[in-house]
Amino acid sequence: MKQSGVAHIIDGNSYYTLERFTDVPVILASEGLNGFKHENFSSTDTERLSVFPYGPSSGGMVESVYFDILTQGEKIEDVRYDTDFKNRSIKISGLSMNEGLLRMERMNGVHAASYSTLFCQICEKGMNLDVPEGVELLRVAMMEAERISSHLFVASRLTGGASQNIAHMNILLLREDLLRAIASVFGHRYFFGVNRIGGIGRPVNLKEFGKKVRLISDEYVEIFNTLMDSRIFIDRLDKSAIIKGEHSSGPALRGSGINRDGRNFHRYYEGLDFKATTSEGGDALARFIVRSGEIVESVGIIERAISRIGEIKTGSQGVREVEGTISGGFMETPSGDASMLLKIRADKIESIGFRSPSILNMEAFAESIPASTFADFLFGYESLGIWISEMGDLL
Amino acid sequence: MKAWILRSFKKGIITTRFPKGKNEVASPWSTTPVYRDGNANPYCPTGAITNKKVDANLCISCGLCYPEFEPSMDVRGSISHLSVPALKKSIRLYSIDVGSCGACNLEVMAMVSPQYDMTRLGVSFTNTPRHADALLVSGVLTPGMMDPLRRAYEAMAEPKIVFAIGACAISGSLLGKSISDALKIDVIVPGCPPDPFTIVDAIQKSRGLR
Repeated sequence: MKQSGVAHIIDGNSYYTLERFTDVPVILASEGLNGFKHENFSSTDTERLSVFPYGPSSGGMVESVYFDILTQGEKIEDVRYDTDFKNRSIKISGLSMNEGLLRMERMNGVHAASYSTLFCQICEKGMNLDVPEGVELLRVAMMEAERISSHLFVASRLTGGASQNIAHMNILLLREDLLRAIASVFGHRYFFGVNRIGGIGRPVNLKEFGKKVRLISDEYVEIFNTLMDSRIFIDRLDKSAIIKGEHSSGPALRGSGINRDGRNFHRYYEGLDFKATTSEGGDALARFIVRSGEIVESVGIIERAISRIGEIKTGSQGVREVEGTISGGFMETPSGDASMLLKIRADKIESIGFRSPSILNMEAFAESIPASTFADFLFGYESLGIWISEMGDLL
Repeated sequence: MKAWILRSFKKGIITTRFPKGKNEVASPWSTTPVYRDGNANPYCPTGAITNKKVDANLCISCGLCYPEFEPSMDVRGSISHLSVPALKKSIRLYSIDVGSCGACNLEVMAMVSPQYDMTRLGVSFTNTPRHADALLVSGVLTPGMMDPLRRAYEAMAEPKIVFAIGACAISGSLLGKSISDALKIDVIVPGCPPDPFTIVDAIQKSRGLR
């Protein structure tokens, strides 16, 4: 199903939808379910302006995506995008839950811990499985380590784009150190194969992991403070791609002063003493500040989670056959909140509804860019941490 | 500025000696699993296991074969079907994502980080296929990227090399088609995603340096 602004499933004549930050499916009309589609500029748009095509494969971008940038000299008047070039149309329906999990991990591999946890949690809820607290806390530790890694990547893109080459290299160094630490503890740099439905797939040894991420975070704070003294860096990000209002997700939402973080509403995070980071301004700089604050906050969450994890046995719980149930959930991924609905029958996924944070953030980006200059384009886009891979169809 | 310089000196040399020396670390399950004990044919979602052997081209690093199998920790599992000595001193890479989850893209980009510092080996990225010696293709071949991939290949000058980065590009894994439906693969870089050391090793093999 094509993604829209709301996760939804069509079941017979009913639309089941999931509001943001909730896990209870509701029946709703099809309002707000319009897909985001690429539209071409009309001839009246282009009468006195030029269309600059960018992509789908271009050296400056991490993933394949196409932009038409309507421009008058350096000023951007409007932008249209097409994220369908690399759409894999991943088929989940009809598969067993375990097979679905393998595909969810690979929907956005960079945020595999978050998406596999979201998927497992919804399946477990649908089957009424009791998951040990240690497994849930381990999932939190994984997701927070993933958040640090993802935010470091975004920070590296911003510093690289601003030609802050030493900071760029230092941040890449920290990210690689973190990935190596993750690999030594979890067996994989992107957490593939760790999550299983009702449990974990391999033994993990968390000894020294908290200390290692603390060292990485302390070093990052030094780099951040030095960058905040650089007018060159700040001027590049300041007032770039300003996003206001609720139609965005994650650091973009919190960077516009809205104190809303899915982790505050998620039961996995109860008792982990967590405070959402916000910033005013809504621009690329505000989002960078939010991400930097979240790196420090995530280390605290990891330390507290590890202190409460007891012994965890490896292995998954057997999948229980269910009558036919619609189960939903949300998760605050590093890019923002994602919502998912699953209809489960017997041991199979009958249908899936999904809304990724990148769907919201891409639209927010396109709306923020008019009246910007070409230089703002990169900082606006990269500061949002958009992943095209998670914007594709899940069938 | 002073702070940056002091920071760099404090770090010392952190770049690996690989490929001359041994790789310091490896992402365990990104290396091809080897048989350890028990069932010789455990369940594998891609059918990569036959009689205690794992086909690296099909392995998606899911670890479902654990505990019968365990990671080999061997990062030199890539296969190059050619050797281009003309690129020994310098090779320019163009990375193209035809339908990846993003992880392969980031492992390719990780080669820039100071721990690998690919420029010391004469390896660099270019922003256009016109200037590239090698195409690093990641992801399953999606219909929308078929034409951009072909056009990128046609834009390159001879000699040109095609790398299939990761299980998706090599075999299609669980999610789609291999890139071999569009181009002949010259270098196979297994893993899901491949460890950055494996990618470095593959680049060296393609130009006759291993």
